[in-house]
Amino acid sequence: MRAGRDERARVRGAQRGSASDLEALFRTHWPRAFRAAYLVTHDAGAAEDIAQESFLAAIRALDRFDRRRPFGPWLHRIVVNRAIDWTRARKLRGEVELVDSLPAPEAAPAGGETLAALAKLSPEHRAVVVMRYLLEFTPGEIAEALDLPRGTVNSRLRRGLDALGDEP
Amino acid sequence: MKHELERIEVPGEHEARERAWSVLEFAFAERQPVERRARMVRPAIAVAVVVATLAAVLSPPGRAVLDEIREAVGVERAQPALFSLPAPGRLLVASDAGLWVVQQDGSKRLLGPYREGSWSPFGRFVVASRENELAALEPDGDVRWTLARRDVRFPRWAGTETDTRIAYVDRSGLRIVAGDGTADRLLVAGVRGPIAWRPGSGFVLAHVTPRSVRVLDASTRKLLWQAPRPGGRPTALEWSSNGRRLLVLSPAALYVYDARGRMVDQNDPAEGWPNVDAAFRPDSADVAVARVHGSQSTVFGLGRLPLQQFNGTGEFREVAWAPGGRWYLVTWPTADQWVFVRAESGRQRIRAISNVTEQFRSSSFPRIEGWIATD
Repeated sequence: MRAGRDERARVRGAQRGSASDLEALFRTHWPRAFRAAYLVTHDAGAAEDIAQESFLAAIRALDRFDRRRPFGPWLHRIVVNRAIDWTRARKLRGEVELVDSLPAPEAAPAGGETLAALAKLSPEHRAVVVMRYLLEFTPGEIAEALDLPRGTVNSRLRRGLDALGDEP
Repeated sequence: MKHELERIEVPGEHEARERAWSVLEFAFAERQPVERRARMVRPAIAVAVVVATLAAVLSPPGRAVLDEIREAVGVERAQPALFSLPAPGRLLVASDAGLWVVQQDGSKRLLGPYREGSWSPFGRFVVASRENELAALEPDGDVRWTLARRDVRFPRWAGTETDTRIAYVDRSGLRIVAGDGTADRLLVAGVRGPIAWRPGSGFVLAHVTPRSVRVLDASTRKLLWQAPRPGGRPTALEWSSNGRRLLVLSPAALYVYDARGRMVDQNDPAEGWPNVDAAFRPDSADVAVARVHGSQSTVFGLGRLPLQQFNGTGEFREVAWAPGGRWYLVTWPTADQWVFVRAESGRQRIRAISNVTEQFRSSSFPRIEGWIATD
């Protein structure tokens, strides 16, 4: 409850032009926004752009934002939809990554197995998994945010968990 | 599962956060209401107009009028076609048909249906844009790579023999991409106006916002300086060739800043004489300025060296310097001419080319996108 009140106060402060309140919102929500974008796109540069552009969209819409709503889910919904759009656009453009020119990592990055398992899923499936288990949306909220039938969300979650070898 | 997703290492997380915050901080500052500030600025502009008018009257180059055309519009004895450029180098020209390269011998090649472009730093490539595409081209028109982006404008290329960047503006804002077309990223959101790379080492970029001119290091996104910019829509933003001066032009004002963002020159036109274009003379801090007044136009110089002034009837559109700074080109839509003017006194002082629109298969008057020295 206290966190919710603090966040509402920060949104109100940002609406009135307080850069420190905006920075507090940014520092609270950036890590998850960036991580969510990365887990859907698997591209750190794109994730940075997507998270950044989502915050910019939030700033542009700040005056119209309803303070009774939580800020984080609103932002994360923008992030995930943009990340899905980006992966679809990349597929259409046929872009390839210049993996040949990258040096080999000295050690396997933390969470590399999970990341590799996620990579086997489609962006749409990854988005559902990320929204449910990283951003903690309910299946109903995911269905609404991505404009999907509830059954589709559940089936994507099931398939995602199968691929990741986990149980709900 | 949540733990697993949070444990995944995201490359460059800390740096990305700080870069993003610097972008957002700018955007948030720009979001402030402008009405209050506008009221404060008006008296300053009024004073500036008086000062600038005096400066223009006292300016020595204002006395050297080369050619007055009172009756016929256009230079008599203009050549019917472009047979050669008066100075070494190659021109890049945009017309309704697309982007053209003009060689010094006057031969032209249409690169493709692009609407804007600029030369790479050594003139070996061209970066071109059309509505939904950014493209790197060979000067013969071969496409090296393309990027699909929306509403692409102001493509600008900078760098050294081995490391180059392209800056451009699209619907998201100011973006940069490596010269090989990789690592495209948003640098500053919301930028709409002109941009300009500072010549020299590093990747330093100037751009304008609704209230200021800003110079930043594109590699680190660090803001190097910002200063109030002229009111009105900026029509030109250009560095001197040594990177020590930055010119910002709007119809109502001309500001020149030094490398630290201090305004070192201001020359606002008298009322009814809007600026239409301005350009630094190569290897100099002198500026050629084009202004229109009713049915008359003029190009005159600001700076230390005298500049042959050029006057004409109708509308001048652009002024572009030849590499070396001995000639400048005035584009003159009313006369459908290009006029090459020798900057200093000499035997042959002007060369005019007529039928410019037709020569570039255009219905609107072609634009000069760059004039670069030949290797």
